Amino acid sequence: MTTIFAAWRGQPLDEMLFHCRELVEDTDFPTIRRWREAGGKVVGHFQVYFPEEIAHAGGLLPFKVRGAPIEPTQADSRFGSYLCSIIKTSLELALSGRVQLDLFVTHPICDAARNLAGVWGRNVSYPCRILYLPQNPNSGYAARYLRDEYDRIRRLCEEVAGRAITDDDLRRSIDVFNENRALLRRLYALKRERPWLLPVDEAYVLMAVGGLVPREEHNDLLRTVLPLLEHRSLPRRDKIRVILEGGFCEQPPLDLLRAIARSCYVVDDDLMIGLRWLVSDVPADGDPLQALATSYIDRSAHSPVQHDLTKPKDRMLVERLEHADAQAAILMAAKMCEPGLEELVVHTRALDGKGVRYFVSEFEESMSSFDSLEIQLETFVENLVFD
Amino acid sequence: MTDTARDAGIVGRGNEVGARLFRQWFEGLTAAAEEGRGAAYVFVMGSLCELLRVFDFPIVFPEINSLQTAVRRVAAEYLNEAENYGFSPDICGYVKADVATQLRGGMHPMGRIPKPALAIATNACNTYIKWGEIWERMHGMPLFTLDIPGSRGAGLASTPGGEDFERDRRYVAAQLEELIALCERVSGKKFDIDRLREHLGWANELNTGWQRVLELNRSRPAVFNALSDGTIYLGVANGFRGAPEGAAFFRDLVEEMTHKAEHGIGTPVDEKWRLIFVGVPCYPIFRRFTELFSDWGGVFVNSTYLLFASGGANLGFTYDLRRPLESLAEGVLLGVRDAMDSMFFQTQTLVRMIDDHAADGIVYHPIKSCRTVSTGLADTRRALMAIRDVPSLFVESDMMDKRVVSEAQMKNRIDAFFEGLAARRHQAAAAPA
Amino acid sequence: MAYAAGVDVGSTQTKAVLIDETRRIVGRALTDTGANVMRAAETAFQQALADGGVPEEEVEFVVGTGYGRYKVTFGNTQVTEISCHARGAVQLFPRTRTVLDMGGQDTKAIRVHPSGEIVDFCMNDKCAAGTGRFLGAAAVALDLPLVELGPTALRGERAVRISTTCTVFAESEVLSWLGKGKKIEDILLGVHESIAARSIGLLRRVGIEEEVTFTGGVTKNQAMVETLNKRLGLRVNVSDEAHYIGALGAALFALERIVTARAPAPAKGIA
Repeated sequence: MTTIFAAWRGQPLDEMLFHCRELVEDTDFPTIRRWREAGGKVVGHFQVYFPEEIAHAGGLLPFKVRGAPIEPTQADSRFGSYLCSIIKTSLELALSGRVQLDLFVTHPICDAARNLAGVWGRNVSYPCRILYLPQNPNSGYAARYLRDEYDRIRRLCEEVAGRAITDDDLRRSIDVFNENRALLRRLYALKRERPWLLPVDEAYVLMAVGGLVPREEHNDLLRTVLPLLEHRSLPRRDKIRVILEGGFCEQPPLDLLRAIARSCYVVDDDLMIGLRWLVSDVPADGDPLQALATSYIDRSAHSPVQHDLTKPKDRMLVERLEHADAQAAILMAAKMCEPGLEELVVHTRALDGKGVRYFVSEFEESMSSFDSLEIQLETFVENLVFD
Repeated sequence: MTDTARDAGIVGRGNEVGARLFRQWFEGLTAAAEEGRGAAYVFVMGSLCELLRVFDFPIVFPEINSLQTAVRRVAAEYLNEAENYGFSPDICGYVKADVATQLRGGMHPMGRIPKPALAIATNACNTYIKWGEIWERMHGMPLFTLDIPGSRGAGLASTPGGEDFERDRRYVAAQLEELIALCERVSGKKFDIDRLREHLGWANELNTGWQRVLELNRSRPAVFNALSDGTIYLGVANGFRGAPEGAAFFRDLVEEMTHKAEHGIGTPVDEKWRLIFVGVPCYPIFRRFTELFSDWGGVFVNSTYLLFASGGANLGFTYDLRRPLESLAEGVLLGVRDAMDSMFFQTQTLVRMIDDHAADGIVYHPIKSCRTVSTGLADTRRALMAIRDVPSLFVESDMMDKRVVSEAQMKNRIDAFFEGLAARRHQAAAAPA
Repeated sequence: MAYAAGVDVGSTQTKAVLIDETRRIVGRALTDTGANVMRAAETAFQQALADGGVPEEEVEFVVGTGYGRYKVTFGNTQVTEISCHARGAVQLFPRTRTVLDMGGQDTKAIRVHPSGEIVDFCMNDKCAAGTGRFLGAAAVALDLPLVELGPTALRGERAVRISTTCTVFAESEVLSWLGKGKKIEDILLGVHESIAARSIGLLRRVGIEEEVTFTGGVTKNQAMVETLNKRLGLRVNVSDEAHYIGALGAALFALERIVTARAPAPAKGIA
C-alpha cells in the first residue's frame, strides 16, 4: 500500500502539526486524489457516523464528507434557502471535481441531509445510497435489523471493490479501527487531564486527519505524536475549563477554535464525533457485522441527531461536563441547523437547572471574522473568573 | 330522483361533511382535555391510528393543529411565544405553534387539545423525533419512535416478497409488538386483535377510496381542486384513519366524484389550466393563495402533498385481515416509504402525474419551515425539466410564518407564470399544422 | 399606422415607450414615480406621446407593467415586468437566451426561448444582497456619490472579499476594511464582486445560456459590467435603452394584442 500522507514523518512535533493542519484545511483534498491515482477507490460518507470498517475491509478508503469553507457556486442552485452551509459545500466538492468518489452513503440525520442521496444521485455518476441507522435503537430487534443493514452496506462495498468482503477481512479492519479509537481516546484524555499541552485546534487537526487518510496511517501518526505531546513542555495557564458542544456535523473553522482556545481550555467536545462514535472496542469474536451493530447501539456516544431513550440529551450534556471537570459550556449551533438549534433549548435549560454557566453562539463553516465572537467570549470568561 | 336533485344532494357533500367531521373531532378532543384524558399524539406519515383506536386513545395530530393556527390567522402569536421560550426562528413552524399550544395548556382556536399520554413518531421526518423529545420533557410521557426503513436510493424500493423487503418488514413488525405493549401499559387495556381487524377494515375502505378519488381527478374538468378541496379530504384521511366515519366519508366521496366525473361537473372555477402542486400549501393566506391561481382559471388536479401527507394512503393498500399484524407492518412500511419517495425521489411520480392528469404546468412551493419537503425541490425540478417540457413555477414562502409570505411578490411570479402558459398556448395554436 | 404603448411603473421611476407596427421605438419618456403613482403613469405616457409626435387616439393598446401596473388605469391590461423584461431584451438583442435585470429594488434572472417566451425565472426581491441596494449601502458607508462607485472600483487591483450577505452589515464590514488599511478602490471592487456573485447565483438557478443580456439601472456601471463579464467568462449585452426595456416589452405585448385582434376569424366547417 502506498503511503498517502507522508509529509509529517520524521518531523519535529511542530512541523507535524503544521502538515496535519495544512491537510485538514486543504479544500482540494489531496490525499483522496493521491489514493485514486494509486488505483484505490473511495467511499464517501456524510455526517455523523458511518461503519467505516466495512469499506476498509474491502480495501476502500472511507472519506468523511464534512463540507469545506468554499463557495458553493455550482451546488447553490441545487438547493433552496434556509439551509446549512455543509449541505451545499459537500455537493460542491463533488460538482467542482475536487473530490471524486465511487460510492456515497448518507444517513438521514436531519431533514436537510435526508435529501442528499436524492440530490447527489441526480448529479453524479456513482451510486448514492442511504444507510438507515435505527432511530429506534431501544427496540429489541434493532441490533438484528442493523446487522442486516450493515450486510447490505457490505454488499455495496463488495460491488465497488470488485471482490468479496469476508468476515476475516472485517475482523482485521475492526482491529485497526479499535486501535484508532483507543488512540483517539488517549488524545482526548490528554486534552482533558492536561489541556495546556494540547489546545483544541491542535487536537482537532490530529483527529480530523483520520477522515482523510487510511486508518493505518492515522494510527501511525497518533502513535508517534502522542508521546511527544505527553512530554511537551508548555506552561500551564489559569484558563477556565469548558466543554464545546455543537460540532457534530458542520465544522467550525479552525480559526474559530483558535480564538476560543485563546480564552479557555476546551477539555471535551463533540467535534467530528462520528470519528469517535464507538466509545470502546468492538469485540473481535463472533459475527463482526453483528458486533459492529451492537456496538453502535450499546456502546456509542450521543448527538442531537440520534434518538435514544437511554441517552437523554440533557443528562448526557451534564455528564460530559462533569466527566471532563469543566466549569462552563460553549454551546454552538451551525446556522440554519435545525437539530442543533432545537438542542440549544434543551441544553440551556439543562444547564440552567444545574446552575452552570454557558455561552451560546451560532457559527458557519465559512465564516472568516470572529472579532465579535471573541469579544463576547472574553467577556463571558471574565465574568466567570470574577464571580 | 332527477339529476339536479341528485346534484344538490351530493355535489359539495364532501366539503360539507369534511368540515363537520373536523368540528366533531375537535369537540371530542376538547371533551377529552376537560376530562383530563391523555391522547395519542401522532403524525401524518405513519400515524398508526388503526392500532391506536384499539386502545380508545383520543387521536391528536399536532401538524393539523398547527396548520389550523395559520389558517385561523393566529399563528403569529403562537410562533412568537415559542420563540420567546427559546426556539429559533429558523426551525419548523409546526413545532413552534405546538410548543405554544402546550404552554397554553392546550388552548387552540378549534377548542382545547388534550395532553399526550404517549406519542408515536416515525422517522419519515426527523423533526417528528425532535418534536416528540419536547413532549417527553414537557409531559414526562413516552415517545415511541417507529423506524421505517425507506428506499435506499432512487428507484430502489424493495418489493414485497423479496428478502430485502422482508428484513425491513420484520423490523417494523417487531416494533409494532413493542408498541402494542406500550399502548397496553399506558391505556390499561388489553390488546384486542378483533378490534384491530375492524379498524384495519375501515382503513382499507379509506385507502381504496382515497386512491380512487385521486384517479377520478383525471377527468376534464377536474372534479375537485387538489389544493383547496384536497386539504379537507386529506384532513379526514388523517384524522379518521381506521374509524368508521373515515370509511363512510370516502365511500361517499367516491360516489360524489364519480357522479361529477360522469356528468362533467367540475370545480366552481372555469378550468383553463390544469396544474400540479408540489410542496406544502401556504396556510397563512390559504384562500388567497388558491385564488392567485384560480383567478387565472388554474385548477390543481393533483399534488404530491396529497400523497406524502396522507402517509401513502394513495397506494390504496388493503390490509389482509387474516394476518392483521403482519399486514399492518407491511402496509405501514409501504405507505410511509412511499410518502418519503414522493418527497425525495419524486421525478417519476411527477412524470406519471403529468401524463395521467394531463397537466399544463407544475407549481413548486418550497417552504422555509420544512426542509424535508423543500431541500431537494430545486434539484428535482431541474431534473424533471431536463426530461419533460412542462412549464413550472418555483415560488417560496412558508406554511406557518406570515413574516416570510409576501402576497405581492408571489402574485408577481404567479402572474408571470400564467403569462408564460398563455404565450405558449398561443404559440402552439399559431404554429403551422 | 397603429401605435402600441408600454408604461413601466417602477418604485422610483416610471418609463413609457411608444412603438409603431414595425416595432420601431418612436417615443420614450422617463419620470420620477413619486407618491402619486397614477399621475406618474399618465405623465410618462403623455411625455412619450409628445416625444414621438403621436396623437393619443392613434395608440390602439396600452399595457401597464412594473410594481404599479394596476395603477395604469388608462391601460388596457397589465403584464408582469418579468414577462416584459424578457420580451424587451430579446427585441433589442435577438440572440438573447438569458436576461439579468439588476434593478434598484430587486434582481431578476430570466431564461428565454428565441421567441421571447420565458423558460424559467428566479428573483431576489426579499433581500438586498445581489441588488443595486447593496451598492447604495456601500455608497453611504464610504460617503461617495453612487455615480462614482463604478469608476472607483475600476481602479481597484485586488478585490477585498466581502463576506457578509446582509446589506445592513455590509456597511460595517466596508468600514472595518477601511480601518484595516485597505484601499477604497479594492473594497469597492470587492463589493461589486459580491453583488456579481450573488446575481450569478440567481442566473445559475435558471441556467446560463448565451447570449446573456444585462438590463436595469445598474448597467450604466461599467465596473459591474466588467465584473460580470469576467465571472461569467463571456460578454454580456448592454444597451443604452436599458431603462426602457420593461416598457418596451410591455409595448410589444400591446402590439401583439393589436395584431391578434385584427386576425380573421377561423372559417367554420374546416377541421
